[in-house]
Amino acid sequence: MELIPSLDLLNGRVVRLTHGDFETARTYGEPEAVLDALDVPRGTRLHVVDLEASRSGRPIETNVVRRLAMRDLIVQVGGGIRSLDDARRWLDCGAERIVVGTVAAESPALLASLIDAFGANRIVPAVDVRDGVVRTDGWSRASATPLAEVFARIEALGIEEALVTDISRDGVLRGPSFALYRELRALTRVRLIASGGVSTRSDLVSLSRLSNVSGCVIGRALLEGRLSLANAPVAKTIPERVIPCLDVRDGRVVKGVSFEHIRDAGDPVECAMRYEAEGADELVLLDISATDRAASTALDTVRRVAESLFISLTVGGGVRTLDDFRALLRAGADRVAINTAALRRPELIRECAEEFGVQAVVLSCDARGGFATVRGGRELTDVNASEWCARAEELGAGEILLTSVDRDGTSSGFDLELLRAVTSRLTIGVIASGGAGTLAHFRDAIESGGARAVLAASLFHDRLLSVGEVKQYLAAEGIPIR
Amino acid sequence: MILIDSPFANIANISRALRAAGAPLEVSADPSRIAGAEKLVLPGVGSFAAAMSWLVERRLDAAIREAVNRGTSLLGICVGHQLLFESSSEHGPTRGLGLVHGSIERFAGALPVPQIGWNRVAARGPLFDGVEREAFYFVNSYAARDAENETATADYDGPFTAAVQRDRVFGVQFHPEKSSAAGLRVLRNFVQWN
Repeated sequence: MELIPSLDLLNGRVVRLTHGDFETARTYGEPEAVLDALDVPRGTRLHVVDLEASRSGRPIETNVVRRLAMRDLIVQVGGGIRSLDDARRWLDCGAERIVVGTVAAESPALLASLIDAFGANRIVPAVDVRDGVVRTDGWSRASATPLAEVFARIEALGIEEALVTDISRDGVLRGPSFALYRELRALTRVRLIASGGVSTRSDLVSLSRLSNVSGCVIGRALLEGRLSLANAPVAKTIPERVIPCLDVRDGRVVKGVSFEHIRDAGDPVECAMRYEAEGADELVLLDISATDRAASTALDTVRRVAESLFISLTVGGGVRTLDDFRALLRAGADRVAINTAALRRPELIRECAEEFGVQAVVLSCDARGGFATVRGGRELTDVNASEWCARAEELGAGEILLTSVDRDGTSSGFDLELLRAVTSRLTIGVIASGGAGTLAHFRDAIESGGARAVLAASLFHDRLLSVGEVKQYLAAEGIPIR
Repeated sequence: MILIDSPFANIANISRALRAAGAPLEVSADPSRIAGAEKLVLPGVGSFAAAMSWLVERRLDAAIREAVNRGTSLLGICVGHQLLFESSSEHGPTRGLGLVHGSIERFAGALPVPQIGWNRVAARGPLFDGVEREAFYFVNSYAARDAENETATADYDGPFTAAVQRDRVFGVQFHPEKSSAAGLRVLRNFVQWN
């Protein structure tokens, strides 16, 4: 997937507007200085938007485009192009391609004559979509032409690549519109350049896994330093993990809704062995009695489960001290999750990481309304969940187990906003937990939420879905599994 | 077959997996037993330097070399695999056993270190008979790259050496005992190899 840095120009400077409002323009400086600061290599395709041109309808920043083209950059430029003359002026300045928005949706005849005059490979149709409807004229108008027809036209004219922006996306909060790109995969063979909402490295990974997305425009995230071209390698082939969770009390697997209404769900060893046979990538065992009774975790259950498995086992529940941690490792846990005790004394994370290694330390965060809770979700703290997880990474946690207490047991889907809020700040992996109800929920937690693993309990205990079904589904959706 | 009883390893897990793979197993840190073993497994987690100095203190480095010279088959796992190399850059350059060529370096890419989780491996050779294109479970911050004796590679923001073989000396960077059926198959291949 090609990464295409994007520069919005106004008065010869690179700017960012908020919600298209010129009054809010924030200036980043001369284009050349910005490109140097962003380490944009020669030969890179650059997406340039002439903001004044989109407003006034005639090319303005022609000098800048001329200078950029002389720096060995492949410039595609857009902004209010409504005629053959406009297009020719940009191409004469050295632009490699021109980007046409409104024309693509509203003026098929002009689009056809642009292609006749300059060739299909020099025209990039830009399709702006909000809630499934094509928007034109700087997003102000809904086009009468349905999305499918716009693309049928583009395809019929021999164009192979189009820029698609979902303008309803709001940056970090929601991420790129994977659903839109997937919908278009069924509608058209045109390759897509994704635009809008790209803000994390995980967004790039997820986009690169969509077979019809050939490129991705990055603007704000680059300028704000959240992404860089150099460190945006795409780990698209590393398998993501499906993890069943055993909540254990008094040696039995139990389950409940939002940590309450507990029911029996079987023998932990039998469950564990069944899950490994179904293809579970790891197992998490949480002793939910431990915190409540201030007792040590049920070491015997851990020992029996560990002895029955040939996959990694993470154990949590009531771990307060280095000795608790060590005892669980000795009982056969590969990793230990700490929660309440770490919130009360964050240094515990560092001490555990120094003593047992970063790989052994999982920080478990039970979030409610964006804040961390303790004592199995019963007690709310004033600690912001995403800040706490970022702090835990600094202190030496190797991975985060992030549970939405609000969603737990509801089958209404993982809390994607919570996940994005956390994963966008971290380098280490996040295991998404709480709310799995359908196959698509697992996909969304990885694709949109940026999770590196997905966890569920009752869904698997009740055999509503098997681990194997989830993995098959993820593979079919382009997400690598082992 | 002797599993070297290193304090820098999860002996219980590895011995359980080796037994499940059919090995008649003895766990020992006795240099004379190790020097005379028919097959050896060298496990390890944590720090290269600590694991290596433990071997040297116990004179197990010499015992392992003596065994290999006599024709003993050896399998190194994770840090045990890294110890087979000439050196590691962990905590400054540290010498290894030098049974395979190359050195161990820290991952330098943009992905989180340590690598924790499954990764797909492209492999060849007797250890991977039947599991040449499987995923295995890794926990590592360091690895060899493009090693001369490489028999398997994986990719973690760039290729790294997932396994090596030089004559009767084998090493796997992943944890076969945490790699479910594919891992047990690798161990069984080692147990049955002649």
